[in-house]
Order: sequence, then C-alpha cells, then structure tokens
Amino acid sequence: MKLQPLLNRLDKAGAAAETAMLVSMLTVMMLVAVGQILMREAFGTGFGWADELVRLMVLWLALVGSIAACRENRHIRIDALSHILPDGAVKLIRLLVDIFATAVCAVIAVQAWRYLQIEIEYGDTVLVNTPAWMAHSIMPVAFFLIAYRFLIDVLKQAGAIFFGRTAE
Amino acid sequence: MILFSIVLAFLAILGAPLFAVIAASAMLGFYGQDSDLMIMAIEIQSIASMPFLAAIPLFTFAGYLLSESNAPKRLVRLTGAMFGWMPGGLALVCLAACAFFTAFTGASGVTIIALGAILYPALKEDGYGDKFNLGLVTSAGSLGLLFAPSLPLILYGVVAKVSIDQLFLAGILPGLLMLIMLAGYSLWVNRHIRKPISSFSLKDVGAALRESLWELPLPIVVLGGIYSGFFAVSEAAAITALYVVIVEVFILREIPLRKLPQIMRSSMVLVGGILIILGVSVASTSYMIDADIPQRLFEVVENLVSSPTTFLILLLLFLLILGAMLDIFSAIVLVVPLILPIAAGYNINEAHLGIVFLAAMQLGYLTPPVGLNLFIASYRFEKPIMHVYSATFPFLIILMLSVILITFFPQLSLFFLSE
Repeated sequence: MKLQPLLNRLDKAGAAAETAMLVSMLTVMMLVAVGQILMREAFGTGFGWADELVRLMVLWLALVGSIAACRENRHIRIDALSHILPDGAVKLIRLLVDIFATAVCAVIAVQAWRYLQIEIEYGDTVLVNTPAWMAHSIMPVAFFLIAYRFLIDVLKQAGAIFFGRTAE
Repeated sequence: MILFSIVLAFLAILGAPLFAVIAASAMLGFYGQDSDLMIMAIEIQSIASMPFLAAIPLFTFAGYLLSESNAPKRLVRLTGAMFGWMPGGLALVCLAACAFFTAFTGASGVTIIALGAILYPALKEDGYGDKFNLGLVTSAGSLGLLFAPSLPLILYGVVAKVSIDQLFLAGILPGLLMLIMLAGYSLWVNRHIRKPISSFSLKDVGAALRESLWELPLPIVVLGGIYSGFFAVSEAAAITALYVVIVEVFILREIPLRKLPQIMRSSMVLVGGILIILGVSVASTSYMIDADIPQRLFEVVENLVSSPTTFLILLLLFLLILGAMLDIFSAIVLVVPLILPIAAGYNINEAHLGIVFLAAMQLGYLTPPVGLNLFIASYRFEKPIMHVYSATFPFLIILMLSVILITFFPQLSLFFLSE
C-alpha cells in the first residue's frame, strides 16, 4: 500500500513541526517575560504588547502541546480499567472512547472555524494592530489536528482488532 | 439530559480523555439552552486572558530541566550533609529532598523518577526495610504540593481567583505539618536503626553547598521575589526557567543543547494536557453558572448541613473520593468553581479552602484505583501494584491524619495571612 509510507512521513514532519513550534514559542516567551522585567527595573518602562503576547503564547503552547499530547498518548484519562481488564477488552474500550474523542474535537474544530469567520468579519485587533483572527487561528487548526490524531488512532486500533494487523 | 450525563460519566470511567468528556458535557448544556455552540471556541480561547497562567508552562519546563540534570543528586547530597547525622537521618533526607523537589517540579510524578531512583537503593543499603522504603519514596513523591511554587497551588489561584502570593503563604504551615508527621513516623518505625549515615561535619556541608552553588539562588529568587512582592508569580517563573537553562546547559553543561528541544517538548506535552482541560472546564463552568447550578447546589447543601464543621466533614469525604478518581489538575478546574460559592456560604476562607482541597487531593496520589504515584512507583521499582499499595498504606494513614488537622485548624493555613 502506498498510503502507509506517505502517512508515516506526514507523521514525522508533523512531530518535527510541533517540536519546532513549542521550542520557539517557549524560548520567546521566556525572553520576552524576562526582558519586560529588565526594562521595568532598569528604565521604568516596558512594552505595552509584551504581556498580551505572553498570554497569547500560553494559548498556543497549550493547544500545540495538546496536539503533541495526542501523538504521545499523554492526555489525562481516568486510567483504572486498563490495569484490571484483559487486553482484548481494553483495546475495544479504547476504540470506543477514541471514536468519541474524535467526534467531540471535530465539533469544536467546526465551531472554532465558524467563530474565526466572525472575527475576520469584525476585524478585531490584538497586539497593537495584528488582526485577532490570526492570533486565534490556532483554535480550529489545533482541534482539527487533535481530531485527526484521534482518528488515526481509531483506524490503527480497528485495524489491529478486526484485521489482526499490529498497530506499530 | 440525565441519560446523556450518565453516558458521559460512563465514558470517563472507561478512560475517554477527560478534556473530551468535559467539552461534550459543556456542549450538551449549551445545546440544551439553545446557545450557539460557537461559544465553546470563545470559552476555550479565554485561556489567553487569564493572568499568571504563563507560570505553568515556565515552571513545568524548569522542573523538567532540573530533573534531567544532576541537580537531584546534589540536592540529596546537600540534605544528607545537613540531616544525615541524625539517627534515621536518611529517611528525613528523603522526605525533605522530595518535598523541595516536588514544589519546584509540580506534582507530576517527576519526583519519584528523579529522586526515588537515587534514594530507594540508598535507603536499602543503609538497612531500612524494603517495604518501608517503597512506601516512603512513593508517598514522598507528592509531598511538596503545598509549598510554593507548586503547579496545583498556582492553578487553584488562577481558577479560584485567589491571590497566589497568599496561597503560597497559606501552604507553609500545613505543608510543614505533613512533613513533620511523616518524619516522626519514619523515626519511630526505624528507632532500631541507630546508625546515622555520617557524623556531622561542617566540611561536608560546605562541600555540598559549594557543589550546589549554582542552584542555591533559585529558591531565594523565586520565594524571596514572590513573597516580597518584587515579582509576579509568572515573572518569577520566567526568571527561573531562563536561569535554569543558562546554568544547566551553558555553565554546568550537564544537559547538551541538542537535548533541549526534546525536554521542552515533553514538558509542554504535560502542560498541553492540563491547560486544555482548563479551557474546556471554563466552558463547562460558565454553562453551570448560567444554569444557576452552584446556587442550587448551595441550597441543597444548606438544607442538609447547618454548621461549618459538618460542611467541612462532608467536604473532606467528598474530596477524598474525588481524589481517588480524578487527577489533581482536572479536579481543581472542574470542582473548585462549584464548591467555592458553597464554602463562602459557610464563611470558609478561600485560601484555607484551597489548602484543604490540595491536601486532600494529595492523598489521591496514593489511593487506588487511579493513584498516580502507585503506578509510577510500581513501574519504576518493578513491584506489583498491590505490594506498593500495602507498603504505602501506613503513610497514607499518617497523611490522612494531617489532612484532618489541616482541615479543622484553619489557623494553620491562615497563620501568615494578614487581615
């Protein structure tokens, strides 16, 4: 099948992109926040946009971190049954709850997309005069990608359960 | 509606990601009110308008970085030089070092992995019983939760809109009480071990201090800065993170630069998992407030419970059950907005409520079915989970006693708070 290598490459590129974004945002956040303190203590002034930038970066870090958490299967779950039920049952349950998660994230992605359209229309701005929709564009993108990651997991698990393929 | 709620609760117990369960319940609520579901996007986006939240990614990253360096070893050596001369000293070293480390790394199980791996074999070598060691290391793994600048304290401050500086002050005595009670128990159990690790020598203390020279300013900058009002908590977090990068990567060179992206990524994976739950919980809370649920809950409770003491007893029972089911972060963002107005109705100070909440949740790390520390210790030390649980049980009882004291003596949490 040709699809498999393509998906794998997409996977690798995706992981690298997440890491690159997380690293650069975290670094900028540290530097801006510390720079702001230095400016305040040394010159008694600061950048008006710095505080807002740091807060927006928290949103981006949270959402990109969430996509990465999906990939590494690190989202917080009540993890009680997997220690007591047999393997087969655990896999089936996992399939079920991940279908649910896919659906929920897809709905949020659509809603965030609709809201983004309104923000574009209204022309709100953040950070002096950056359009707000740019700063918030991570919302639909992130939830779409989270839904996509859950969907991939669902497909892999379904493949493993029903066709006996091993999920990597 | 009720049927849907039951289905959602069932999915949560089956192990659906909690953020998806909470999001679905918020959306069902909004849908039932005929609100446009677009509101979900607006609510989640409000993560970007909460003050101080930047402290969470920054402190988490600093903690991950510290745990990957040799700082845990230096910390053990320093506490060893300071307390090792006492009989049963190593147990005290373990408690003090873990509490300190957990406060700085958030309560995410990092402590057991970073410090447990050093302390567990050391305890064994010194002749402590295996079961005691396992219990000690497992329960010490979440001990510093009440000390600044732990993540749960910050998150409670953000969610409850309580000043984080006040919470940091409120946590000091209750946190020390837990520490002292566990230390007393450890000394009592090991009273037959007369042999101290080493005799006290100023030279050793000096050497250990010199070795930790670069990390020593950290607590001073963070705690001094916050308590004196010099920095906001998010600023202290930024300084800590940048300082730790400079020290561990560029000065001591214990972490090669090429490992930095991976450490950043894994710390942000944890942060993403916590903050997305915060985002969807903001949505579910705002639905519940629209639907007047906290008010109705208060009326129900008010009819059943008349005195603040009875309320605290019920609250404690509720929190213990909650802690056994939910992790501390989800519990804070979901439940605090609901119980805050009720507790206010009984005149319970919100800083005290926060300390009680977190102290009770700390026990949840050690109780089945989902006690995180039990699983981490079982995995890390290759012991069956039931064995870890029974080893931890006496410590759990001691901690439970301390939580009861903390709950019913609000003077402990309010001692340093002026007003």
